[in-house]
Amino acid sequence: MTHLTSDELIDAIEGLLDTARLQHLDSCEACRQQVTGLGSVLNEARAVAVPEPSPLFWAHLSQRVRAAIDAEPQAAGGWREWVRWPVLAPMAALSLMVMALAVAVPRQQPLVSAPLATNTVPADGTHRDEGFAVVADLVGDMDWDTAMSAGLSIAPGAADRAMLELTAAEQQELTRLLKAELTRTKS
Amino acid sequence: MTHGSAVRNAWAPAVATGWTVTVVKSAATEPGTPPDYAAMDDAALVTAAIDGRREAFDAIVERHRRIVYQVCYRFVSNHEDASDLSQESFVRAWRGLKTFKGQSALSTWLYRIAVNVCLNRVSAKTLPSDPIESTDHFEDTRIEGAQSALIREERAVTVRKAIAALPKKQRATLILRTYHELSHQQIADILGSSVGATKANFFHALANLKKLLGNEP
Repeated sequence: MTHLTSDELIDAIEGLLDTARLQHLDSCEACRQQVTGLGSVLNEARAVAVPEPSPLFWAHLSQRVRAAIDAEPQAAGGWREWVRWPVLAPMAALSLMVMALAVAVPRQQPLVSAPLATNTVPADGTHRDEGFAVVADLVGDMDWDTAMSAGLSIAPGAADRAMLELTAAEQQELTRLLKAELTRTKS
Repeated sequence: MTHGSAVRNAWAPAVATGWTVTVVKSAATEPGTPPDYAAMDDAALVTAAIDGRREAFDAIVERHRRIVYQVCYRFVSNHEDASDLSQESFVRAWRGLKTFKGQSALSTWLYRIAVNVCLNRVSAKTLPSDPIESTDHFEDTRIEGAQSALIREERAVTVRKAIAALPKKQRATLILRTYHELSHQQIADILGSSVGATKANFFHALANLKKLLGNEP
């Protein structure tokens, strides 16, 4: 009969060897020696405990984990994280801004110009969007304190995340407009 | 009428029929009171943490930090590295919490993360060919009990060093099977291998350990 395989030797030291192979083990000195040797080293390893750290260590570890997670970008919230006013409000504001930009920014004229319509875009490149006008009328007089007390606060990082949602072209356009606004404010 | 008497009156018909009524405070809390995270089970804590409640994750850390630390310590055999690896394991758990499906126990999932963190961070060491020598010899022989304790500790250090010198998968298998009593199937799931490969790893881990400890005939 063949000697025990490595699987069977493990089964033997764990007391799980089947009866047929146990008979071989009883009669085979070489296999018995292997089982005894492995069993003894396993027992020696089992006897070695992890040294107990200082009682203060556990609280310290929790604090370290908390601090490390605080330094992480928010990850665990999933989609639920987005369905909250502190996130939705700046997102909505940014969306409105993007919509307004999309409407306000003059589009590049086609090379072959179409006949001019009678109600063309005004000379300053802007025109009134009805939806935007309604929103602007609603929130135009709202001051910062009122917005904050209504819970429309901005969570840290929300604006950054919202910015990441913009396409490259939208980001470029937003940058251009902000620069233009800064230049206009300075002058 | 006090709240207590209102409760007693509400349950009076049941008590009158011979029932025993036991009032247990629910883990779900009344509005305005902070939830008792320590009383929640792992599944509820995971759900709360995914909902963004950091205190729930703090409770998960508090509940499982010992086993995670012990796995890491077994891998590296020193407190500083084990502490860093434990922190890293929990940070990864936080990042991946929403991927936890609850098909295995939270502790098994944390074992998996800790083992992977350790396997990634611990450099593959070449197995020394010679038995590992005990490095610290203690001279104080005045008290026999103290001496034998010191000898035991010296041997423990040698065994830890020998375990730390095993190839990574053998080390992981030995640690999870011997100290955390995971089944071969659980270990295979954690290491992404088969039960046969796990048993083979365990066999080679013990055989190498025997060699390293100088127990070879």
